[in-house]
Amino acid sequence: MAIETASRGRSGPNQLYARGLARAFGGAIIFGIPLLMTMEMWSLGVSTQPARLLLFIAFNFVVLVGLSRFGGFERTDTLGEDILDALAGYGVGIIAAAAILALFGVLMMDMPLDEWVGKIAVQSVPCSFGALIARKQLADADGNGEEEERERRVSGHGGELFLMLAGALFLAFNVAPTEEMVLIGYMMSPWHALALVAVSLLLLHVLVYAIGLAGQEQRAEGWGRIRTFVSYTVAGYAIALVVSLYVLWTFGRTDGLALEQIAITATVLAFPAAVGAAIARLVV
Amino acid sequence: MAKSTMAARTPLLEWIASGLGLVLLLVLIGVIGREALTGETDALPAIEIRATSVAKAGSGYVVGIEAVNLSGGTAASVEVEGVLSDGAAAVETSSVTLDYVPGHSTRSGGLFFREDPRRHTLQLRALGFQTP
Repeated sequence: MAIETASRGRSGPNQLYARGLARAFGGAIIFGIPLLMTMEMWSLGVSTQPARLLLFIAFNFVVLVGLSRFGGFERTDTLGEDILDALAGYGVGIIAAAAILALFGVLMMDMPLDEWVGKIAVQSVPCSFGALIARKQLADADGNGEEEERERRVSGHGGELFLMLAGALFLAFNVAPTEEMVLIGYMMSPWHALALVAVSLLLLHVLVYAIGLAGQEQRAEGWGRIRTFVSYTVAGYAIALVVSLYVLWTFGRTDGLALEQIAITATVLAFPAAVGAAIARLVV
Repeated sequence: MAKSTMAARTPLLEWIASGLGLVLLLVLIGVIGREALTGETDALPAIEIRATSVAKAGSGYVVGIEAVNLSGGTAASVEVEGVLSDGAAAVETSSVTLDYVPGHSTRSGGLFFREDPRRHTLQLRALGFQTP
């Protein structure tokens, strides 16, 4: 009896964790598919400068640790657990990306190791992101006041801004690899760009504060409209812009462009990034 | 203290999954890091074209070609030209564009000719490329 109880007690958490891992694979595939099936992403695996790719892998890992805090595929209490979760999530993302790229025939046996690793490395970013947020998206409602628990953890200006960064990164990364980002930049006049900035700001503000999406923010008590606008909306848009620039730079999309072109391309990418920042609460 | 309670509450499977993740991540960083340190990817591509096979294709012929990039730099939109000649006179010219030839990689394609390439001299060369 005692042995049986002990063994059951030991397999319980492992089984629970295995379910979490299975969900993580599901999330990796769901969030990875649009990019796994994007041609530019395969060539970016070869053409991205290795140093920039390394920096991006490190940045992604830090974001994963943060995501584990706010979502993750299991409840965490300490930074150590968040790091373990981020490592496991990255592993799931790498395995899922490698498996699907191999299935598509994008990875072939006669390709050199560098090509394999580069292709998997760029794709493991969206896949690992999906793996980390799978819990929120795929878990059945298990109640236990988990939402309040999350609310508590996300509370605070820093937490909000981090979520915006994660949301902006995800949506920006999803469209940044395509040729269209630069092409749209070429087609737009400076007036178009200014209008796009205004629309992005408005959309960010409206999505977060006005239309009543799930997870919508209430204005902080005692904060006026203007202070809220500056502290969250403008800050959120600034994050979206910086994230956009960083992703464009990583993919070499800013190399050799004139300053005005870089600015216009950044506003193009900041549009989806701002939407991503606004709906981060829904997704993460 | 905190570490031991964490170790006690963490299921074995989590250690395995996280450990595997760490190993995969380190492999990724190791391979890309080596690439970054050698700086090989900044080199100009050096592309050799060679014929792999010749076959009859409908009313004409097809020559299977292989583009081998001997350098670490990646080339995009690689123009490949094949010229059939008899002595000094060119008999026929065909060309193809290969999307990508990554560093130290091989990509293959083919060139069609009306004349039988086996009865003439076939010269293959890469004309140019775009930096991706």
